[in-house]
Amino acid sequence: MAEWLDDFLFTYENLVHALGVHGLLALSMYCVMAVGQLSLGQAAFMGIGAYTGALLTLNLGLPFWLVLPLSALAPALVALVIGGPTLRLSGVYLAISTIALGEVLRVLYINAEWLTGGALGLSGIPRKADLWLIYLLLLIGVVAFWAVGRSKIGRAMEAMREDEAVAGVMGVNLPRYKLGALIVSSMIAGLAGCLSSHSNSFIGPNEYGFEMAVTILSFALLGGIGTPVAPVIGAIILTALPEVLRPLQDFRLVFNGLIIVIAVLFLPRGVIPFRLRRAP
Amino acid sequence: MSRLLSTVGAIAIGSLLAAPAATTAWAQETVTVGAIEILSGPSAAYGTAIKGGLELALDEINAAGGVLGGKKIALIIEDSAGNKDQAVNAARKLVGRDKVPVVIGPTLSNEMFAVGPVTNERKVVTVGTSTTAKGITEIGPFIFRTSLPESDVVPVTLKTAKDKFGVKKIAMMYANDDAFSKSGFDSMKAAAEQLGFEIATIETFGSKDSDFSAQLTKIKGLNVDAITISALVEPISGVVLQARQLGIPASVRFIGGNGANSPKLGEIAGGAADGLLVGSPWFIAKKGETNEKFVADYKKRNGKDPDQFAAQAYDTMYIVAKAIDTAGAADSDKIREALYKTDFNGVMGPFSFTQGRDPASNEGVVVLAMKNGRFEILE
Repeated sequence: MAEWLDDFLFTYENLVHALGVHGLLALSMYCVMAVGQLSLGQAAFMGIGAYTGALLTLNLGLPFWLVLPLSALAPALVALVIGGPTLRLSGVYLAISTIALGEVLRVLYINAEWLTGGALGLSGIPRKADLWLIYLLLLIGVVAFWAVGRSKIGRAMEAMREDEAVAGVMGVNLPRYKLGALIVSSMIAGLAGCLSSHSNSFIGPNEYGFEMAVTILSFALLGGIGTPVAPVIGAIILTALPEVLRPLQDFRLVFNGLIIVIAVLFLPRGVIPFRLRRAP
Repeated sequence: MSRLLSTVGAIAIGSLLAAPAATTAWAQETVTVGAIEILSGPSAAYGTAIKGGLELALDEINAAGGVLGGKKIALIIEDSAGNKDQAVNAARKLVGRDKVPVVIGPTLSNEMFAVGPVTNERKVVTVGTSTTAKGITEIGPFIFRTSLPESDVVPVTLKTAKDKFGVKKIAMMYANDDAFSKSGFDSMKAAAEQLGFEIATIETFGSKDSDFSAQLTKIKGLNVDAITISALVEPISGVVLQARQLGIPASVRFIGGNGANSPKLGEIAGGAADGLLVGSPWFIAKKGETNEKFVADYKKRNGKDPDQFAAQAYDTMYIVAKAIDTAGAADSDKIREALYKTDFNGVMGPFSFTQGRDPASNEGVVVLAMKNGRFEILE
């Protein structure tokens, strides 16, 4: 029985890791969408975290408890620098400029061969991201967002999401909230990146491009953004679905797509459409 | 509600318990072998060809009595969709639930870099049939490959160009954003330096680029004898077409890596690709009874001509089956020992493994030249 359990865990270890990491990415998407911004830079921030973490571990041999916060800090710095000019934009324009961030970084990873290994990527990254750590961070993230969402800050964020102009008139400091949200979201994405590179043993420059950005966005779209739990549920569904449907063989992708289309058609506000109740 | 939940729970647990029990009972009459290939998405053509090759060989092996004195081989092919994570999930499923002693694949080198450490850790023999990048077999002692690495094929092509066409001064081009192209270029550069070529310039481009005029204009001014190119077939076709449009004469031959070895090149670039040289471990019109039978059977079974991926997969299935037979049991450690003793003559030619688990000889490599949009053996 113990051996069977061991095999079972082995079979799904990678999937369980991915569920946690994608949950964190969904939270980072939630963080920017909660203030009404559409950012497609989350994949880029994830990439910065992944590369920072992998390089610190491989080249400097730093302990993981130090690598993890540093990989959250690196994307935060980038977010701080690019936040100023890009947050003057909104809607699709912000989305487009954040896509550019991902592309710029991709070209950088490819050409900085002496550091990032170019197209061949970095391999042989030790597996240090324990399961409990990933899920602890995810739990802390959800609880923190829940608490913030119910507070005065949460109300300001919701006001911004529904109508930015009105929120501004009511005295919400728009630029500060937007920059704050971007920085926090980049840190969470960085953490997720670092955790994924330390559970995958290989990273390459093409993993954090447009495709990943859209995948992260779809977590929030499928789950909904009413509560911090919703996008995490969306991430879990989208990540687990291809594996759950594996027995269908050739029809796997057909059913995968069908389920998503039905969900979006009939649940336009997400699978979990409820909104946070305010603190009294 | 709670009743519904407990029912669902019971069914879920029941199916989980039943699945491993079912496979073990089944495994007594058959030997299960796993494969991970790209069967969906943009690169599905590679995986489908490999699947065709594997299944053709499998049918023949089972019809001839199977392995280990009458046991049939059951092949479980999992789809990776070209995605690294899905490839790892598939590998974990094959190893953890289906308990296969051997995994064939995955299709791409990138996927192997992610899958290899997992299967190697579990001491499951993994045999790549289409992974040509550098460092694949260095992942660990259980990782083999039957595909010749670029570093074995490219020197043959370049030497032919030097000896037959007197090529001395070359320009080198490659796509710098994917592992396959970059790794192929590294092998080309090493071979070119060893053969004493004068490298006039090295130009890079992106796999999805469509305009190569800047690089080609520069190359045109350098008056080179030939241009080497390492990329996937789509960008190569674009480069070749634009080179002729810009007036680089047809006497300046292109020399391609493994990516150029695809009938698609002729379909896209047509006559512009004429004269392009490429080394291949296999060729459809290769002489010999084994190959002619393979081509005819493959065509009958799958309705189209086999390509090199199908040929490599076909041989690999035989090599794995023979190793299981020699090992005397479906046991990874024993199969690994048996693979080292492989001495096989298949559609690619004589085959054995080096101590580094790569193919031992590149004798089977033929140099092909493009003529009127089709590959022909260079006489």
